[in-house]
Amino acid sequence: MKNLTLNKKLAFIAIALGFIGLFLGNPYKGNLLSMNTKELSMIVETKVDHVTVQDLADWIIQSKMDFKLIDIRTEQEYNEYHIPNSENITMTSLEKADIPKSEKIVIYSEGGIHSAQAWMLLKAKGYKGVYILFGGLEDWKDQILFPKLPEGFTPEQVAKFEKTKEISKFFGGTPSVGGSADVKSETPKMEMPKLDNQSGNKTPDGAPKKKKEGC
Amino acid sequence: MNMPFFKYGMFGDEVSLIVAFVIGIGFGFILERAGFGSGKKLAAQFYFTDMTVLKVMFTAILTSMLGVYYLSVIGWMDLSMVYLTPTNIMPQIVGGLLLGFGFVIGGYCPGTSCVSASTGRIDGMVYLLGVVFGIFGFGEIFPMVSGFYNSTFMGQVTLPQFFNLPYGVVVFLVVLMAVGAFVAAEWGEKNMAKKAGAKK
Repeated sequence: MKNLTLNKKLAFIAIALGFIGLFLGNPYKGNLLSMNTKELSMIVETKVDHVTVQDLADWIIQSKMDFKLIDIRTEQEYNEYHIPNSENITMTSLEKADIPKSEKIVIYSEGGIHSAQAWMLLKAKGYKGVYILFGGLEDWKDQILFPKLPEGFTPEQVAKFEKTKEISKFFGGTPSVGGSADVKSETPKMEMPKLDNQSGNKTPDGAPKKKKEGC
Repeated sequence: MNMPFFKYGMFGDEVSLIVAFVIGIGFGFILERAGFGSGKKLAAQFYFTDMTVLKVMFTAILTSMLGVYYLSVIGWMDLSMVYLTPTNIMPQIVGGLLLGFGFVIGGYCPGTSCVSASTGRIDGMVYLLGVVFGIFGFGEIFPMVSGFYNSTFMGQVTLPQFFNLPYGVVVFLVVLMAVGAFVAAEWGEKNMAKKAGAKK
């Protein structure tokens, strides 16, 4: 090697690196994602990727286990409150998360923007069954935890509210009747239900919920 | 490591200008040291009597290609975030020929004309003035040539995609091509120098 000029040495290094490169493969490493834009726009237009908070509440009450509920907010926000049975996977970890592609996934965030962005990311990564909790935690609070019977209610609204009230209580919420005389003395508590006594984590009779295994 | 740094937000727009300034100074300095401030040396490339331009260019291509390839393979860099200029094959061939003619006639390419002008060469300054007027003129006639400018669009295409070859193979082939060009350049220089010497 000593009698080689610097140029020749550099040329040999380049050839060696190029030769090793033959066996190293693609430098893009799967960071390039491809999407079926036509399929995506169809899904968005027909809104089949939406799950309403009422549907989700029903599924949790019925102990449906065929889906994965993902909270993409920060760990701190998750610790303050989260929908029962949800799992905290933040946006950056979602990118690397090891979730089977066939799994049915429901994503939620505070509103709808972050979950829509996460939806796009998962779709681009080839996940098939990705759904967004429509309205996010805000709708969950408004319609499940703290539902309000509107002023000047009709009998149908009252009947509907009876069911909502039950659901709300199941999740530890506080239903209220807007502007009605009989609850005036009691101002509706807008405190978030505590995580440890959230009734959603238990069956209605109070026994801890047993996780269904298998199918 | 998260490369490219700017795309990953390691620094913002202001800092990126400072980074660009420092890199630009370095680039200009190296060009000058390689002798690229002289129009005679640059034009000699086209008469095959001085192959420095070819050697410097291929060295730069090899260094950056191997660097980018290995950094991406080991995961320090996300190559998909590096911008690729889209290919419009016909306008780019015509543009390349135009630049080549200008290079032979004037002795500079745009970058080297800046280097030359900054070292005080008058031909470099005049060339730079021409570049500015050319840009202005092109801007003025752009509506007339925009059809051709946007024609034969091929998208952001890379050699591995175009030839449908694995990336590693293309890397190796480019290395072989570059080293072959170095050898041929050295050989050519010797022969051309002999010829030029014999003429004298």
